[in-house]
Amino acid sequence: MSDAIRFLLGDRERVLRDVPPTLTVLEYLRRHERRTGTKEGCAEGDCGACTVVLQEPDGQGGLRRRAVNSCIQFVAVLDGRQLLTVEDLKAADGTLHPVQQAIVDRHGSQCGFCTPGFVMQLYSGWLGQDYSERPEVKNWIAGNLCRCTGYGPIIDAGLAALDAERPGTAETTALAERLEALGHGEMLHLAHDGPHGRQEWFAPRSVDELAAIYLAHPDAVLVAGATDVGLWVTKQHRHLATLIDVTRIPELAALRDTGNELAIGAGVTHSAAMEALSALHPDLGKLLTRFAAVQIRNAGTVGGNIANGSPIGDLPPALIALDARLQLRKGREQREIALENFFVAYGNQDRAPGEFVESVTVPKLRPNTRFACYKLSKRFDSDISAVMAAFSVTVEAGRIASARLAFGGMAATPKRAKAAETALMGSAFGLEAFEAAAVALAEDFQPLTDMRASAQYRLLAAQNLLRRFALENAPAGRPVATRVLEIAHG
Amino acid sequence: MADTATLIGRPSIGQPTRRVDGPLKVSGGARYAGEYFADDLLHGYVVSGSIAKGRILSIDTSAAMAIPGVVEVFTHENRPRTAWFDSKYQDQVAPPGSPFRPLYGDGILYSGQPIALVVAESFEAARDAAALVKATYAPEEHITDLDAVKGQSYVPPKKRSGIAPPPEPRGDAEAAFAKAPVKVHETYRVAVEHHNPMEPFATTVVRDAGGKLTIYDKTQGSQNAQAYVTGVFGLNQSDVTVVNAFVGGAFGIGLRPQHQLFLAVMAAQALERSVRVVLTRDQMFTLSYRPETIQTLSLGSAPGGKLDAIMHHAVAGTSHFEDYQEVVVNWAGLLYGCDNVKLSYELAKIDTYTPSDMRAPGATLGVFALESAMDELAYAAGVDPLQLRLTNYADFDQNEDKKFTSKALISCYEQGAERFGWSKRSAEPRSMRDGHELVGWGMATGVWEAKINKTAARASLTETGHLEVSSATSDIGTGTYTVMALTGADAFGLPIEHVTARLGDSSLPTAPVEGGSWAAASTSSAVVDACDKLKQALFKQAQSMPDSPFGNVDFDGVAFRDGRMMLAADEGSSVKLGEIVRSARQHRMEAEGSAAPDSATQKEYVSYTHSAIFVEVKVDEELGVVRVTRIVNAVAAGKILNPKAARSQILGGVVMAMGAALEEETFADHNLGRFMNHNFAEYHVPVNADVQDIDVIFVEEPDDKTSPIGAKGIGEIGIVGTTAAIANAVYHATGKRIRDLPITIDKILA
Repeated sequence: MSDAIRFLLGDRERVLRDVPPTLTVLEYLRRHERRTGTKEGCAEGDCGACTVVLQEPDGQGGLRRRAVNSCIQFVAVLDGRQLLTVEDLKAADGTLHPVQQAIVDRHGSQCGFCTPGFVMQLYSGWLGQDYSERPEVKNWIAGNLCRCTGYGPIIDAGLAALDAERPGTAETTALAERLEALGHGEMLHLAHDGPHGRQEWFAPRSVDELAAIYLAHPDAVLVAGATDVGLWVTKQHRHLATLIDVTRIPELAALRDTGNELAIGAGVTHSAAMEALSALHPDLGKLLTRFAAVQIRNAGTVGGNIANGSPIGDLPPALIALDARLQLRKGREQREIALENFFVAYGNQDRAPGEFVESVTVPKLRPNTRFACYKLSKRFDSDISAVMAAFSVTVEAGRIASARLAFGGMAATPKRAKAAETALMGSAFGLEAFEAAAVALAEDFQPLTDMRASAQYRLLAAQNLLRRFALENAPAGRPVATRVLEIAHG
Repeated sequence: MADTATLIGRPSIGQPTRRVDGPLKVSGGARYAGEYFADDLLHGYVVSGSIAKGRILSIDTSAAMAIPGVVEVFTHENRPRTAWFDSKYQDQVAPPGSPFRPLYGDGILYSGQPIALVVAESFEAARDAAALVKATYAPEEHITDLDAVKGQSYVPPKKRSGIAPPPEPRGDAEAAFAKAPVKVHETYRVAVEHHNPMEPFATTVVRDAGGKLTIYDKTQGSQNAQAYVTGVFGLNQSDVTVVNAFVGGAFGIGLRPQHQLFLAVMAAQALERSVRVVLTRDQMFTLSYRPETIQTLSLGSAPGGKLDAIMHHAVAGTSHFEDYQEVVVNWAGLLYGCDNVKLSYELAKIDTYTPSDMRAPGATLGVFALESAMDELAYAAGVDPLQLRLTNYADFDQNEDKKFTSKALISCYEQGAERFGWSKRSAEPRSMRDGHELVGWGMATGVWEAKINKTAARASLTETGHLEVSSATSDIGTGTYTVMALTGADAFGLPIEHVTARLGDSSLPTAPVEGGSWAAASTSSAVVDACDKLKQALFKQAQSMPDSPFGNVDFDGVAFRDGRMMLAADEGSSVKLGEIVRSARQHRMEAEGSAAPDSATQKEYVSYTHSAIFVEVKVDEELGVVRVTRIVNAVAAGKILNPKAARSQILGGVVMAMGAALEEETFADHNLGRFMNHNFAEYHVPVNADVQDIDVIFVEEPDDKTSPIGAKGIGEIGIVGTTAAIANAVYHATGKRIRDLPITIDKILA
């Protein structure tokens, strides 16, 4: 076991011991290191002003990097990694990095408070060659808010810096080796006595270790990307006595394709799952880009998105429509349930104390199955759905043989529309059948009115999504270029 | 692009110029109010109250005090003595009334009111302890719903300084409206909006051994904050310096001192330590906001659309302790020629904090209603919306019976329409489509006041020939640093690299708060004056130098370029500016200058910026989704000092208007008397995906009367009218007239 967090801050080695495990990376930087370039705009991962870059060895001599919101990342995330902030980008002689210079040249900074976040987000994409066209830049910085510039000049800057020379292989290899040397492969265990009592952090390295520790500490909070748990600390000021980090476990970070199914480990981030989910159906990849911005996708996990039991959740309705199953584990016991049965009621999931989600298994679509995801929200990006819908409808011998219509935002849990599904069964695939389903949908849901939408909107929009699905998938389907999942530029 | 053009050796005003503060901002080097340190620094965390109205019965701080590291918990019970009279809390821009006094007594005036400040050695201890402060209350019945009190509206008995009340009625608007053949009579509303600058409010008070305070504050006016602190705490001006070198956006919320300034200074004085207080994003929603306003517009016209009657009535919410006022209705009597006009503006009191100026205060609301109603009139009269504006074009201001210093609005209409392709519009609503989406084209006019305010500046030249220009103005992201440096460089013919601009420090020459779009024109005019005076002093000194080439010429006979003073007629005869300074046995020579509005001009003229906005939206009406696909905003704002910064200001204003039109809305839970969506997840500011094609045009508009430098100001005009143009486009697309902003998905589908 290791009792210290070892990492590189820029090129300097740091060892942190006896720090509160829920100290955020942002507070560590701003208050402990007095590195104030990284800003706090919201303390909840919504604005991107605190974006920093983490690098770690990829195991093949190279580096894996990701930009994250430092405001909701706990310091343990730094263990074995390099943390880069806006102060690290200038050359030794003071020359600005090409991304920085481009923002100056294009007037991409006005008040400057969001600027370090944009710099780091663009820098991570520049380094990883993650964007080359305007729409890609726009997606890349979807999680960064700016209240002054109107964004255009920042996007211009991102494109202007594209061609600047990137670090060479030798440099990358040297850093990867240095980080390899920092790694210890052992379970990290932090303990800190604070004003509200003792806090402990465990980062087990195997599923067996995790199962044992969680069984011993069934009241512990499991932390994956901390995109939710981070807010318990920064917003709700909750005292979390024991936390177990599930992101250092190779088995949980694995994606397995069995031919007919895709098994996603509970620790797989949305970014890591994106390619495989897109291969299942392109809508799933598009849904992920709208569901959360890059920094959140880089931290948040598929397992966390399911286990936290949001009534909307975005991914759960899509996975329920795909008839996904959940693998749960407690101690040495494993069990499997249908994902739709996991969500019992608002704030209540079918998970025993000490039991955790190990993986989710998603069957692949059959050729005669039509599938689509829709996300409706007041704002296009970085917004919680008013209505989230996913439909999977199989046609056999010209008749609808099975239908799974799942919704988020329509009830206290992600839920199938059973009456609407029944209305479809045995009908020919077409507008007529889905009109009947739309009528039946009113029996399935009595949605609420809240800040995101009125009850009336939710029901009518959900019904219209059924109609749209019918039109889009009808034999002579009409082309629909909406911003439901993708924005049409211009 | 011209943006990388070097400026060496030639005049620079009017050329696109990179920000001089850019490199610091992109590298994390620009320090904001909450980012200063001191060895003895303590951290304060504000505890916010949880009821909207009533009294605090008890407040238990014992658990908080028991947290290791906590130094003190201040409440109304143990607050140190401060000024007794509330007039001492009045700042330069305060509306009439009795300003809020933090921790003054047990009374609760609004939800989220600060009820305690926990001060600790570490931020974490302060934050953790703050959660342990427990208050009990005697709640009283509150009303936060404007609709519940709009029947008790009143004309504010005391006018807010600088805010023109509605003009006296002219003609007989009621009679003219009654017999008008074409009429529009509708009610328009805009939801409460919060400014939400990216930087949360913060103050760091650094206290030196002698008790002098250097206060790093997030404010739009260092001297306003300084006067507030000295007044409230009875301190000498010489003992208090307020610094706001970098301000992470404000949009009006930084005009008045906010409660964290009071609390940080109070704690620093009581504990004789340096103290920092930073607000959270949630707490930003306990500060001020753009007031909810209910407006009724009545327009009557002849069959062709010629206006014969305008009535505009507004009721705006304000707090119980101050009569916040802004110009909402006057625009209706200014923008179009009409002989029968009646304008009225009233307030109604609700149990919230006092509303405040937010980017283009008043105009954003009033022009939305006016320009929506004009669009409705265009349809009622069967004329093109642009033609309707031209038919009613005003050549002079009938409100004040004065001439315009300049008004190139016709050019805005013409160039904007041309660029947008307005002539290809099909008038009928729902008549344009792109695939399954409805397409709508809408337009509107924008207007905002143009003026300068009394401002002083200093110009100072060092023995090495480096120029420094300074003023106590602020740069809230608007580009004041750069425009000051440009002005100095221009005056001396120096490359901008040889000029340093200083601002954001109360010890610099007197300047007003940065707001009202007046900073660039006022400050640069003052810098021009200071540079003129410095050049004359340098000339006088140069004449006295041995073998001076300037002995036989007067001031008009010399020129300044590339760091030298030279004979205009013989550029070969020149002296380095640094040498002149050294010849006076000085390290630097300096001069102060100023700019102020010209009262003779003001008697005869009024000055405004104008704009014409053209918008295309695409609407998926089955799902209620609106996209703004194209905006052309053509602006007439006098001389454009830095086109690069000016374009950015308009872009930012336009995007903020997109937020107001489609997204931004602070919801109140009237049962609790509290704003509900106090975070960036639920209060939606526009994201980049909302922004597509925005085209900014600056039309030629020579103006020699608004300001000595010829500029009018561009910080606010971009937002005005743009909301109406979007709403008008949504109507054109869908046939649905939505008079209640923001236009959200459920309103489209309702």
